[in-house]
Amino acid sequence: MMKLEPFKIRTEEQGSEYVMYLEGELDLAAVPQLQCALEHVLKRKDIALVLNLRNLTYIDSTGIGVIVSILKTRDGLRAPFYVQEIPAKVKRLFDLTGISGYIKEGAGA
Amino acid sequence: MKAVQLHIPAHADQIDLVRICLYGIASKLGFEYEDIEDMKVAVSEACSNAVLHGGHSGEGMIKVTFHHDDQALVIQVHNEGSPFVLEGAGLASTPLGGAAVSELQAGGLGIYLMEALMDKVEVFPTSEGTDVWLTKYRQ
Repeated sequence: MMKLEPFKIRTEEQGSEYVMYLEGELDLAAVPQLQCALEHVLKRKDIALVLNLRNLTYIDSTGIGVIVSILKTRDGLRAPFYVQEIPAKVKRLFDLTGISGYIKEGAGA
Repeated sequence: MKAVQLHIPAHADQIDLVRICLYGIASKLGFEYEDIEDMKVAVSEACSNAVLHGGHSGEGMIKVTFHHDDQALVIQVHNEGSPFVLEGAGLASTPLGGAAVSELQAGGLGIYLMEALMDKVEVFPTSEGTDVWLTKYRQ
């Protein structure tokens, strides 16, 4: 059965990496929560920003739009940004939209 | 075609209910897991558009009708607010690619995904809003 999994963010700063673990469903309703959590780290140049998507069960264009804006901000600052542990169904949407070509996978963990 | 209807307030935090309902109906009809996942994203895109561009001030409703027969599941998303045009609708909306990172645009990704994930996507302005029809054929 499909479970309703509320969107949650857990963060961990390990050395020079700031890892955000995204869990549950990232849709239009969850975007403000993610933007809020990003606010104080998005422009930090002293860390590598990492999104860990291992427990992300859903994403659509609204969530992908946030990742596009992270990519643009980090690129403009020449600050590192990585995405790791992308589930297959999320990867499929990244491939379809073309954002895969801009995402650097990996780092740490 | 038989039809099941769901009315939700036009709020972002109600869209998950449409996915739950879609999951139930599509599973019962015997759709494959991948097709159900595709339809979940497509119907959410249509609902997100209705919430974002519907033009109603918190009072509006979104009416989702799941029409089905032995050929297809057709999901009709009716937005009762003022009519809107989906960005890129009917045009060759293209995914990200080929551009420098600084030139990336997230606009239009929703309609692109609907078209990529469904067999047919139609958008009709109506006298009282907008109808998006999403079709997935049964294998």
